[in-house]
Amino acid sequence: MPQYRSVFKDETKLDISYVPSKLPHRDSELRLLVEFFSFLLKFPAKMSQRVIITGDIGTGKTALSQRFGTDITREASKNGMNLRYVHVNCREYRGSLFIILHHIISVFHPNFPKRGYAAEELLRNLLQILDEENMHLILGLDEFDSLVERESSEAVYKLTRLQEMRQNKSQRLSLICILRDLKTLSRLDASTRSTLQSNLISLEKYSKEQLRDILNDRVSLAFKPLTVSEETVSLIAELASSEGGNARFGIELLWRAGKYADAENLDAVTLECVRKAVSSIIPTVRKSDLASLSFHEKLFLMGIARHFKEGENAHISLSEAEKAYHIVCEEFNIEPHSHTQLWKYLHSLSSVGIIETEVASFGSRGRTTIIYLSRISAHELEKELNALLEKEA
Amino acid sequence: MNVEDVFSSKLRIKIVKLLMQMGELNISEIARRLGINHNAASKHLQVLEEEGVLQQKVFGRIRLYRIKENSPKAKAVQNLIEIWEQ
Repeated sequence: MPQYRSVFKDETKLDISYVPSKLPHRDSELRLLVEFFSFLLKFPAKMSQRVIITGDIGTGKTALSQRFGTDITREASKNGMNLRYVHVNCREYRGSLFIILHHIISVFHPNFPKRGYAAEELLRNLLQILDEENMHLILGLDEFDSLVERESSEAVYKLTRLQEMRQNKSQRLSLICILRDLKTLSRLDASTRSTLQSNLISLEKYSKEQLRDILNDRVSLAFKPLTVSEETVSLIAELASSEGGNARFGIELLWRAGKYADAENLDAVTLECVRKAVSSIIPTVRKSDLASLSFHEKLFLMGIARHFKEGENAHISLSEAEKAYHIVCEEFNIEPHSHTQLWKYLHSLSSVGIIETEVASFGSRGRTTIIYLSRISAHELEKELNALLEKEA
Repeated sequence: MNVEDVFSSKLRIKIVKLLMQMGELNISEIARRLGINHNAASKHLQVLEEEGVLQQKVFGRIRLYRIKENSPKAKAVQNLIEIWEQ
């Protein structure tokens, strides 16, 4: 049996549920969150807090809340305080307050019965548990949108107001509501909205450089040394950046690319592994898109695909692509089109989404167009184009 | 109640075994799992609670039963069952 080798050191560090001990480029947001809850450690049971974390997909909302939850629980425990953080993805529980509350109570009483009472009763039961244990609970309500969509103001009202209406009783429940779009809150009535919106943490999309830092951190945790090059990380960062600064997408891509490297028994995660990985995740180039290209566009694209296939470059220049095109034309015994014509082809290939282009400047030497082939495997593209060109030639 | 009276019932032993396994259950669930009616389960649970083997926690209308913590009788019964079932 052949010996199995892997580029991974610990692939669980790329799992969606893994929360790293440090969150690159989210320090200030984490500090703000700590600040919002600092009173809780000083005056337990006197107040409760509500915070909203918002931001696009893959901007670190869940990781931020979970990191904070772990940190504050540890800090409270040092002070002899009984504080728990429970993270719930509301969408997983179909946005139903009853099912969400039942899940939370199950953390304390795993066989708590599922039927026979209303959400309000469950909330009272939860507060009773917290009172008896002298515990403060911070509830991370992820994908809060789905709770608002299903239950509207009523659910949020119950979560925020019911404990406040208990006379001479301690405050037991704080909320971190995590949602993508603040517009969802417009479904809530004005008073509920105002109680929620006072503490808002808005996460900006990660830049390409920030994504590179995040990916490099994960590479050092999850991969064996020297198995993932800077070029590979840069390409993944580029792709994650084009997917709206989505770090989660980048991390998944990194994992998949590692899997392709293992499947091919490679020593390192190559750029081609990344291309294969990306074509397995997102809908890439459709065959009909390729078939509808003109004959010379196909020849030009073939040159680009071959160039990427042979080299380990994340990008090539237009002049390199042009040279490769000339070779392909020679092979097919066809007169190549002019540079201006190729420029047009480049635009049309880019608008279809087969390639990406970027204009780079090199100081006083002027500007050049850089071509990326990130969404489709160069091998696959060459194979597909070969079949189409043979039919047409 | 004498020990022979407490454990003369097969169902009472089954309830203790079930709670040793599950940790905590409400009456309806105990009745369902043992295939008995609610009233019968309730009566056996009452005996075991009065004898200091079980304890209950009330949440509104819900009563959750479990083995009584720090009870020498509960410990002795658990030991007996554990050794017997090894």
